[in-house]
Amino acid sequence: MTVLREYAATVTQPTLGDEGEPTRYDEVVRPDGSLRPAWKGMAEVAVGLTPHDLRRVDGEIRRFLTDDGVTYGRPGEAAGPWRLDPVPLVIDAAEWTPLEVGLAQRAELLNAILSDLYGAQSLLASGSIPAAAVLSHRGFVRSVARASARDPRPLVLSATDLGRNAAGEWRVLADRTQAPSGLGYAMENRRVVSRVVPELYREAGLHRMEPYFSALRSALIQSAPGDPADPRVVVLSPGTSSETAYDQAFVASALGFPLVQGSDLLVRDGAVFLKVPGRLERVHVVLRRVDAAWSDPLELRGDSQLGVAGLVEAVRRGTVRVVNGLGAGVLENPALLPFLPALCEELLGEPLRLASVATWWCGDPAGLDHVLGHLDAVDVRSLDGSGALAGLGRDGLRDVVLAAPYRFVGQERLALSQAPTLGRGSVRPQALTLRTFTLRYGSAYRPLVGGLATVLDEAGRTSSSKDVWVLKRDPALPDQGLADVLPLTRVRSVSALVPRVLEDMFWVGRYAERAEALLRLVLAAHALADDFRSRPNSSGGTSLAIVMTAVQRLAGVRFEETELDREFRSLLLDPHRAGSAAHALAGLRDSGMGVRDQLSPDTWRVFGVIDRAREALGESGHSHQVAESAGRMLTGILSLQGVTASMIRDPGWHMIGAGRALERATQLCHLLRATTTVRHGIDVDREVLNAVLAASESAVTHRRRYRGYVRPAGVLDLLLMDPDNPRSLAFCLAEAATHLGAMPASTGSARPERLLDGLRGQLDGTEVRELVAIGGVGRPNLETFLDAVLGQLARLTDAVAELHFASGPTPRTFGSALLAGPSAGPAAAPVQVPAP
Amino acid sequence: MRYLVSHTTTYTYDDDVTDSLGIAHLVPRALPWQQVGEHRLVVAPEPGDVSKDVDYYGNTATYFQVTRPHRILDVTATSEVEVSTPAYDDAALATPWEAHRPLARPGADGAAAATDFALPSALVEQAPETREYAAQSLLPGRPVGEAVTDLVHRIHLDFDYDRTATTVTSTVAEIFEERAGVCQDFAHLTLACLRGHGLAARYVSGYLATAPAPGQQRLVGADASHAWVAVWVGGQAWLAVDPTNDQWADDRYVTVAWGRDYEDVPPVKGVIFTEATTSTLQVAVDVAPM
Repeated sequence: MTVLREYAATVTQPTLGDEGEPTRYDEVVRPDGSLRPAWKGMAEVAVGLTPHDLRRVDGEIRRFLTDDGVTYGRPGEAAGPWRLDPVPLVIDAAEWTPLEVGLAQRAELLNAILSDLYGAQSLLASGSIPAAAVLSHRGFVRSVARASARDPRPLVLSATDLGRNAAGEWRVLADRTQAPSGLGYAMENRRVVSRVVPELYREAGLHRMEPYFSALRSALIQSAPGDPADPRVVVLSPGTSSETAYDQAFVASALGFPLVQGSDLLVRDGAVFLKVPGRLERVHVVLRRVDAAWSDPLELRGDSQLGVAGLVEAVRRGTVRVVNGLGAGVLENPALLPFLPALCEELLGEPLRLASVATWWCGDPAGLDHVLGHLDAVDVRSLDGSGALAGLGRDGLRDVVLAAPYRFVGQERLALSQAPTLGRGSVRPQALTLRTFTLRYGSAYRPLVGGLATVLDEAGRTSSSKDVWVLKRDPALPDQGLADVLPLTRVRSVSALVPRVLEDMFWVGRYAERAEALLRLVLAAHALADDFRSRPNSSGGTSLAIVMTAVQRLAGVRFEETELDREFRSLLLDPHRAGSAAHALAGLRDSGMGVRDQLSPDTWRVFGVIDRAREALGESGHSHQVAESAGRMLTGILSLQGVTASMIRDPGWHMIGAGRALERATQLCHLLRATTTVRHGIDVDREVLNAVLAASESAVTHRRRYRGYVRPAGVLDLLLMDPDNPRSLAFCLAEAATHLGAMPASTGSARPERLLDGLRGQLDGTEVRELVAIGGVGRPNLETFLDAVLGQLARLTDAVAELHFASGPTPRTFGSALLAGPSAGPAAAPVQVPAP
Repeated sequence: MRYLVSHTTTYTYDDDVTDSLGIAHLVPRALPWQQVGEHRLVVAPEPGDVSKDVDYYGNTATYFQVTRPHRILDVTATSEVEVSTPAYDDAALATPWEAHRPLARPGADGAAAATDFALPSALVEQAPETREYAAQSLLPGRPVGEAVTDLVHRIHLDFDYDRTATTVTSTVAEIFEERAGVCQDFAHLTLACLRGHGLAARYVSGYLATAPAPGQQRLVGADASHAWVAVWVGGQAWLAVDPTNDQWADDRYVTVAWGRDYEDVPPVKGVIFTEATTSTLQVAVDVAPM
């Protein structure tokens, strides 16, 4: 039995017990059990798919998404992996065409409304739109509702959420105009699905999405005010903790524009600039993914650290174009929906082509009556999503609505269409919505031929996504109907190496190196432990304890020595344990996210490998899995070297290199300080030194050079002094000097360089035979030396941060004094009250 | 009456401020009953960038940016203003207050423009207590002028003027609870009372000229900025009343700016970039009769 046949049989079977439920429109199967026309062309391949095929495909999808590092967080939740269902939503040309026309018209209409609301407000004066429905919406930004801020095209990119009713007609559920997200996810979905079901993809004959990104890029460049010769566009992100951070970074790198945060920009002379080290670079267009309210602490929310102080003024001066305009969020307003048909006639002189879901505005007495009379049948929503309505109950809801009726609408509950969705091994019908995107391109609005479908669970929450395939009427048609995509205007290649980016790059290097050091240490300790278990009477116990002191020095102690495996697992799995490998890996991922647009997509394969190793360790209780997983994590980390090897040699790359070199030196000194400054007898010392050599990846070199003769002087010479051993302190310091010297802010005598020179001079003047000199139970010279080097390395990294990453203080707001206006006061002579 | 108004705001920081951006609402509005003569706004150190613009509510908003490192920022506005007592149409004031609720009667002349001032705003939230309190003045069918005057009179009686009772961030609920506040609080409270019943009312920021006590010299710089409210009474007409002093605004009231509440029109607000940990603020206002 194939998946689709089984699905068709299920959905056409009359169901019992839910007669009250309206029948959902099925996206694939007609009521008679045959396939919808859109699926006919692919029928042969599609019908051949077995449950086994789909499960294989699903597994591949998960792996691809992990390798690409695709994440998504529901609002208020930590980001988790993005979910993609293997079965696409397929729409044929005949069905798409009217939708496309309707979407283009809708964007035109919304743009006209937006222009009026921030301009003459004639629609409010005439009552075509009730003033309260707009003015009580928190997306109405008064600081750009001024004559000086007129933007002829405030709406550049919009998204529309659609759902089908039981009759199969598309209805608009909501407009997304603030800072629409999802284009990146849509593109990623296409990349993955086209790879995992290539046969189906080839048969389909659908519109590719790449030309749309070119069109978006060109539209953004052309929206630069004043026609500058060399327009610069940036993508403004709220940061890596945003739920759609992946989408933002994807769009930025697909468009080739730098992904920046508010602190990377500043305003001077009423214009926006990017803080590139040593200079300011003018920014002409900001693709905004920060909600307007958070975009400028001067004139919008004063508590925002995500914005740019003065941005609103720059917009009003016309020195920068923000896309979408700061006021565009007011269109994300369900109260507008009932008025759109009349507005379309009034503003565009034509009927509205694409209907919205039936909506009643409670500010209108008739609308209020209807909503209160049908509280069980409608969804009550506030105009701007503010205020919690969930769990209020009927009476509570009624009270909230009656307190400020103009703040609410009631909306018809659609029996959304369903499509086959893979879950728990079988394919079942699940409800879905479709997000489409519309771009102002040239003189008209163009919808993306495609989109992003969201699969909803029974509670109406997002459970997964689907790729959207819009089939071509004729295979010869150009993708996206954009044969005429304007050739990409040449823009200056951008390296947004602002201080924040350099800092993230530095930490990419440091965390990668720190993770590697910890993983090697765990592997060395685990090997000693294994050895000791099989030979309990050997000196291994002492050696192990000494190696574990190195771990403790870096990551503290969580579990007793009797629970060594739990300790190892904690080091590999607990991201909240400072100094652990897991902590370093989490830090690495976080730093990488901050500069995602600057890194090769291959970077995320590293995390794919690491995540799978972590999962394997979580699933297996065997001790050998510790070494197995640590080894695989190490493989992942080592492959990062391959990724950075292909990077352009810019300051970002040098910062990764400097971070690596300084961290490696630091880790090495900690390791030696914990293990070699106290003597424990020849056998133990030999075992410890072997573990040290293993943990510092110098065992092979040492064996070749000293023929297995392990003595402190030889080991220290190899690890501290050898200029050719990439693991040695001398080598690391030379590396750091090269990288720091290549930074634009370096002068040859900047503080980090002076500190580094001093440290290298000190190393040059040190003799190994002095270091190994014995005093009492230990080697006091070595101890003093290592402590001194560690202190200087710490000062050096601070100096690097101060010189290269300083971005200035964060903005703070100030206000006026409390108004202590004159009062006659009760004691003063009575004031005469004029009679009305 | 003619006045020379000067208003100086001085911020002192304990470390360098390297970048300071500000918005000032310090230029008095030109109004049928108020003519604005010479006006100057001086920021020290001298800003690298200054621009004047008319905001959404028709106020003059001045944007400035100082990028020279400084520890003292001084914003001084001086204006010559001639004010007369606003004249009101008695017939309009005699109409029932219920006629002037923009949301209930959106078709009325001027209602669309007044709507913004009938809705809750950041510092003027709706509360059942203030609504109930106001209901005793807003009796059914009562003439709007009388009802508003009565409300203002009661607020003046029931609430104490107390500089220690509230802060700039006090909410209307807190003011109501404390039964005390300063002029800004009295204004916000009055706005909540009126808007709670659907009336449109705006926050007015400005100055009140004070006469010295008999036999004493006028003290220069002892005045302060002041705030009161204006209630929409139909068409383009707004009745300006001062709950702090229980009177209608007359020729002693210099109007600078208006908005939904204080947040729309603070005399000076801004953003600074600094490592400074403390800052102090001094304000000196002088309204001198000319």
